[in-house]
Amino acid sequence: MEPADGISRFFQELGRREHEPLLAKVTGRVRFELVEGRRTDRWLVAVDKGRVAVAHQSGPADCVIRTGRALFERLCRGEENALTAVLRGAVVCSGDVELLFAIQRIFPGPSRERRPLSGARGSR
Amino acid sequence: MSESQVKILEGNTFVVSDERGDIEASRTDPTGLFSFDTRFLSTWVLTVDGERLTPLSVDDLQYFEARFFLVPGTGTVYVDAKLSVIRQRSVGNGFHEELTVLNHDDEPVELVVRMEADSDFADLFEVKDALEKKGSYSRQLHDGKLLLAYERETFSRSTAISSSQPCVLDEHGLTFEIKLAPHGAWKTGLDVVTGVLGTSEGGDEGPTLAWQARRPRTNMSRNLARFIDEAPRLECDWQPLKTTYHRSLVDLAALRFSPISAGRHSLPAAGLPWFMTMFGRDSIFTSLQALPFNQELAATTLRELGLRQGTRIDDFRDEDPGRILHEMRYGELTAFEERPHSPYYGCADATPLFVVLLDEYERWTGDTRLVRELEFEARAALNWIDEYANLQGNGYIAYQRRNQETGLENQCWKDSWDSISYQDGRLPGFPRATCELQGYAYDAKLRGARLARLVWRDAAFADRLEQQASDLKRRFNRDFWVEDGEYFAVALDADGRRVDSLTSNNGHLLWSGIVDRPKAGAVVRHLMGERLFSGWGVRTLAVGEGRYNPIGYHVGTIWPFDNSFIAWGLRRYGFKREAARVAAGILEAAEFFDGRLPEAFGGYPRSMTKYPVQYPTACSPQAWSTGAPLLLLSTMLGLEPSGDHLLVDPALPSAIGRLEVLDIPGRWGRVDAFARGRVDTSPPDRRPRAR
Repeated sequence: MEPADGISRFFQELGRREHEPLLAKVTGRVRFELVEGRRTDRWLVAVDKGRVAVAHQSGPADCVIRTGRALFERLCRGEENALTAVLRGAVVCSGDVELLFAIQRIFPGPSRERRPLSGARGSR
Repeated sequence: MSESQVKILEGNTFVVSDERGDIEASRTDPTGLFSFDTRFLSTWVLTVDGERLTPLSVDDLQYFEARFFLVPGTGTVYVDAKLSVIRQRSVGNGFHEELTVLNHDDEPVELVVRMEADSDFADLFEVKDALEKKGSYSRQLHDGKLLLAYERETFSRSTAISSSQPCVLDEHGLTFEIKLAPHGAWKTGLDVVTGVLGTSEGGDEGPTLAWQARRPRTNMSRNLARFIDEAPRLECDWQPLKTTYHRSLVDLAALRFSPISAGRHSLPAAGLPWFMTMFGRDSIFTSLQALPFNQELAATTLRELGLRQGTRIDDFRDEDPGRILHEMRYGELTAFEERPHSPYYGCADATPLFVVLLDEYERWTGDTRLVRELEFEARAALNWIDEYANLQGNGYIAYQRRNQETGLENQCWKDSWDSISYQDGRLPGFPRATCELQGYAYDAKLRGARLARLVWRDAAFADRLEQQASDLKRRFNRDFWVEDGEYFAVALDADGRRVDSLTSNNGHLLWSGIVDRPKAGAVVRHLMGERLFSGWGVRTLAVGEGRYNPIGYHVGTIWPFDNSFIAWGLRRYGFKREAARVAAGILEAAEFFDGRLPEAFGGYPRSMTKYPVQYPTACSPQAWSTGAPLLLLSTMLGLEPSGDHLLVDPALPSAIGRLEVLDIPGRWGRVDAFARGRVDTSPPDRRPRAR
């Protein structure tokens, strides 16, 4: 039984979507590697023209997205932007870059109120 | 010594140095080695025996390569030129420099050659705005390399400097103690390699993003030659047009930019060197201008903009679902969200223009595969017009930034603060619905309808779009028409009132086809009349308006890009001779700039200045100015795809004489277009008439 944390809920909800129109053109496997201390949690998301299958396991992938668990939780809540996290080096991507651009669409947007400034954010 | 700069570039990596090849950047000084919007080298100074050098000449070999000929000493008289130094530099992942020292004397000589090196790792935006850095620097000597690095949390950028010949490394540079035989030569290769994030080759799943950012250098000379080879050939009696055409092709090649996701394919960036990145509007307009000459640019632009289309509501980025991006950046300020360019979406025209380009691309190429591939994106773009851009609630596209701190106020192509004004000079409030946006929306709906019928097989959607377009056209011709002046207002203000100044935007309305035919004659009389037409081109704002200024950025200057679309609009409504006059004016102006049109030039009457007065800008060449002669060529020739054929219906200024454009690519294979100059483009006494 998996702990019902934000990350598990995010992936479970993603796996329940039969067809994700934002990924309609996408075919490929993305492995998320979520690091916390010495432990790495792996999720495999296989997309076949918008049909999404999620597995809580490792496996070969076309694109690997590796980041800290805490940051990934914020991504799942729409508090963090995947592309700026990549530019900062907080998320490391290897493999097919087009898949990164496509798959990051599944993360929710920020809430309409101004997001609180996270540690990574500078003053504006 | 001359302060002129030498710029070379490849994609978004570029080097700006002085004529000696040296870089001595201050915080606000835009020189150095830049890549991915970060400065990787801010000091690069060569000395021989402690002395700086003096330039004899610089060869701009290609846009990516330069050679500097130097002699030691900084005096004005070369009493002792027994030594000379050659630096040959080419851009790649960073740059490579071949440094040669020649001894012209009969005696051997011992020299100390030194290269000072440093980097401030400034973000491009910091160079513009003189901001302070928040991270920390380090210098290391490692494995025969000088490694300069900058870190802020997980963000890291580095520069590695090495030499092919032995040298003494220290934290501030490289020193060579060399002996040269009589008439001998000494040579070393210096490599400056940029590092983004933790550069490693990655694991089983392929290289990391950082590694891919350091793509192998293609054979750039061959690549440039192929780009020019594949474009149509131009033959012409009027030599300046040949020069301008060749210049445009070479500059267009230099302005190509390959996003990491695009593989070998490239799209036009906005301008060199500061705007070597994806801009929705600029990339689309330039791709449209270049379609008869190169179609890959359009295909890549459509794919890459589609891949980054907005999917969320994000106030910081002014992002909405379906919106096409305005500008993409990769530097530190973007990474830490101190600037919104990741990407920034605050632009109201790129979204409808995305659909316009997709349709125009299909008309030229017959590539229905791409149209099918981008169906979702095109539908989302069309949906954005009605769902997210209707800020005034009256069915018109309007804009108002949600990012009040770092967002853009004016989200149309005239994006300076005072570009949209009433006749008396007052500025309207927000949201603003500028007129050309409604034209683009109208055109996008009709073209979307054509694609829906032809490719997506959705007749109901096509009917709906056509219905909306016809309704939009009817309302637009009522709501934007300035009755007593007989032209279209530049915008509707927040209260739905007309912002009543006379502007070049009227020409874009002709291009989009939203103008009711009976109104076209009056619009053309304005465009070709003395208040707007200077003799060189159509001014952005008419003489006599409150804010008119012949050297005001968007309030009186003449923009070649603007004029190329105005000429297209004139043709669309059958005003061939007027289109030829605009083309002649702009192409004659190009002659004064050696074939490289600036972004804008002064709106002074041609009879007054005799030559076009350049508006000072940092960026040259600018992509859509480079594209302007190309679009003017196709409007003069009257090139128009019709099914699997290319129609040619020339109206050529008589001054051009004979014109041949050979091997125009498209769904017809390759065809030639011929024309003979028969249109007298000297200022006519009579009013223009529709033909």
